[in-house]
Amino acid sequence: MKRAWGTPLLLAVGGLVWLAGLAMVFFYAPTERTMGIVQRIFYVHVPSAWVAFLAFGLVALASVGYLWLRDPRLDAAAVAAAELGLLFTSAALITGALWGRLAWGAWWVWEPRLTLTLLLWFVYLGYFLVRTASESLDRARRLAAVVGIVGALDIPLIHLSVHWFRSQHPQPVILRPEGPHADPAMVETLLVCLLGLTLVFLGLLALRYRLERLQTPA
Amino acid sequence: MRQLASLWRAAAVVAAKDLRLERRGRTRLAAIFALAVLLLLLFAFALDPATSPRQVGAVILWVPVLFAGLLAVGRAFAQEREEDALTALRLAPVPGAALYLGKLLANLAVVAGLQALVLALGGLFFGLGAGAHWGALLLLLGVGSLAFLALATLLAAVTAPLRLGETLLPVLLLPLLFPVVIFAAAGTQRLLLGRPLAEVRGPLQLLLAFALVYLAAGCLLTGPALEEE
Repeated sequence: MKRAWGTPLLLAVGGLVWLAGLAMVFFYAPTERTMGIVQRIFYVHVPSAWVAFLAFGLVALASVGYLWLRDPRLDAAAVAAAELGLLFTSAALITGALWGRLAWGAWWVWEPRLTLTLLLWFVYLGYFLVRTASESLDRARRLAAVVGIVGALDIPLIHLSVHWFRSQHPQPVILRPEGPHADPAMVETLLVCLLGLTLVFLGLLALRYRLERLQTPA
Repeated sequence: MRQLASLWRAAAVVAAKDLRLERRGRTRLAAIFALAVLLLLLFAFALDPATSPRQVGAVILWVPVLFAGLLAVGRAFAQEREEDALTALRLAPVPGAALYLGKLLANLAVVAGLQALVLALGGLFFGLGAGAHWGALLLLLGVGSLAFLALATLLAAVTAPLRLGETLLPVLLLPLLFPVVIFAAAGTQRLLLGRPLAEVRGPLQLLLAFALVYLAAGCLLTGPALEEE
């Protein structure tokens, strides 16, 4: 098999941008007035959550594509994205809990956005349970695709629930119709972190996809 | 139009077959209804005597229905694996959507029975009732059950071919079901506490929206889930 340079390059560039973002978190972004230093978790938490949602969106797209075209490459892409989605959801939940301990005084509160993100984690755990409980590869791919699609249908419900319940979770400060109301240095830092983590995610996705293709018969 | 009519006819045939099976094997229905009653009775002992049942009425009305309903739903596709009846169903010239809708209708009939029983016993044992808003309560229970079953029937089709199907169904279903449970319970609780009807409109509309989303997903995805290699 020929050497692919795209993936290592993506990972290297993504890693460097991410490191630059981290440097900005500590040396460039100002300290938030009421929350203090702990607010800096935001620069890890928000990109993790964003990447997790991107991953679950990709799972749904690849799953729809798989049920339609029955191309094993699409299934491999879905598996790779689902695994990384589970990883980054865990990261978002853990960083959120660390922040909540100091900002809210509790590791966990039963707030809809937290609750449903946790539930989403269980949904994608179910995605892998369905795969391992299937007796044949074809069955695993079809059934997991159905779960991947239904799981993604839950993401809009997460958004809906935020508006329905009175929410303890901070309201968006960057993506608002009236424009961001945070310090420009904070917005820049967040954007660099977002870009870096997204590139790292895409690199890992390509790597995991290659592994899945090598593991399964064509 | 003709296609839609034949789809419904096929769905009705599947539902009638399932309900006939339920009627002939009465033991299973009896067990499911007994489970709902026992769960309801557990609340009488589990609740602190200082708690007014009215304040936790939504839990008392929904939890027995969800758990007993889960048994009914899990069985709907699993019974087709016996004697490989699933292959015969697959060979029948009906689309996956008809199978899904038929199973959904049969499940709705069973769960409607469960709701009626639990509601009657909830009134009897715990004094639960919606006062003047009985119609709204029945509507909410109906739409909530539709949203629950639209999702559960699809996932039963997913787990039926699996080795650990009956164990995996609740694990897959419950996280996805949470938004439905939240809104069904919130709406029910408000009605039981005698709050104005305007406060129930929101949950009711959302439940209806969930039901439609899951119905569409079920009609489209049951076919691929039941395919055989």
